[in-house]
Amino acid sequence: SGELYCSLLNPRNVRFESVNMKNVLHWSAPEGTGNGILYKVKYSVYGVGKWIRKPECRNINRTWCDLSSETSDYEEQYYASVKAFLNGMFSDWVETTRFNPLTDTKIDPPMLSVSSTEKSISIILTAPAKWKNSPEEESISLLQVYPGLQYNVSVLNKKTKKRWFFSISNHTLVVPWLEPGTAYCVSAQIHVTTPLLDSDFTKEHCIATLKDK
Amino acid sequence: TAGNRIFHFGACRVSMSMTEIRAGFTAIKANIQARDPIRTLSILSYPHSLHKVKSSDRCCITHHLFNFYVDRVFKHCKTEDSYVNRKISSIANSFLSVRRKLRQCNEHNQCMCGQESTEKFKQILANYEGLNVTSAAMKSLGELDILLDWME
Repeated sequence: SGELYCSLLNPRNVRFESVNMKNVLHWSAPEGTGNGILYKVKYSVYGVGKWIRKPECRNINRTWCDLSSETSDYEEQYYASVKAFLNGMFSDWVETTRFNPLTDTKIDPPMLSVSSTEKSISIILTAPAKWKNSPEEESISLLQVYPGLQYNVSVLNKKTKKRWFFSISNHTLVVPWLEPGTAYCVSAQIHVTTPLLDSDFTKEHCIATLKDK
Repeated sequence: TAGNRIFHFGACRVSMSMTEIRAGFTAIKANIQARDPIRTLSILSYPHSLHKVKSSDRCCITHHLFNFYVDRVFKHCKTEDSYVNRKISSIANSFLSVRRKLRQCNEHNQCMCGQESTEKFKQILANYEGLNVTSAAMKSLGELDILLDWME
């Protein structure tokens, strides 16, 4: 006798969202489905035969799964896949496109520290760290991952509205010949030429040069 | 030109429009990789990653790989999509000029081949010849970022 075969619609938009190589798998619930749907997740290293289940993301009802630990080797590339199930019905496995942590991550803006004298401003920039498994683990700066990493820095004279742009490779910048007792606003972004990766600009850090003695 | 990068392989110096090549590949990566259904094999990384190659062998393996892409990959990657085809030929042209420079280095004995790079390239060819030409070429093209990441 024919076996009744009920299948569930597939999860949608299965993709990696990555920031500073914190690599999280995201998806949307199958269309038109309410609560109660559960999911399971597996992943594979490109070029290696087997799919590996992620136990922490088995029978979950959320629509994301952190695979940062499993995809932390950025010399490899990865696929991940999600299956939905509900009351004995289940969907197909739905895969991501090939994920390359090195080129497919987004980089946070740098951290900024600004100080001033009468006629100059000093800016110290710090690139964000690569995601790490635990606080005890040694921190790796994205500067080590992307040797060509640069900083684009913008400095605005609040009074004259004049703006300067600098592109620097080291992490400190001193802007000389400024007007005493004047407010300046600094903002910066990270720029990696290849692979092409740009962070957003930081919010503005404003500081006044000291008044003339 | 902007985005040019100088690669130093010992005495051999090669300038390459890396930004242009990367941009071209990024534009077609999803399209090309979607044409490669085989997850279980990598042309460039099986069984060992390019990152395992000794630095003294980097010039030779790079020279081999640029010959490989020019002679065995790009010409077998025609698609029905003219936009994708244009991007592929633009990348191919960039590879042609780099290959020319690597060939000059080789002629001046600046790009010596050790046993490791010879073995590694033999493995790459074996991986390639294990598939039919179109599948092998398309998979190799989809792995271009593996080569570029390794070079950088």
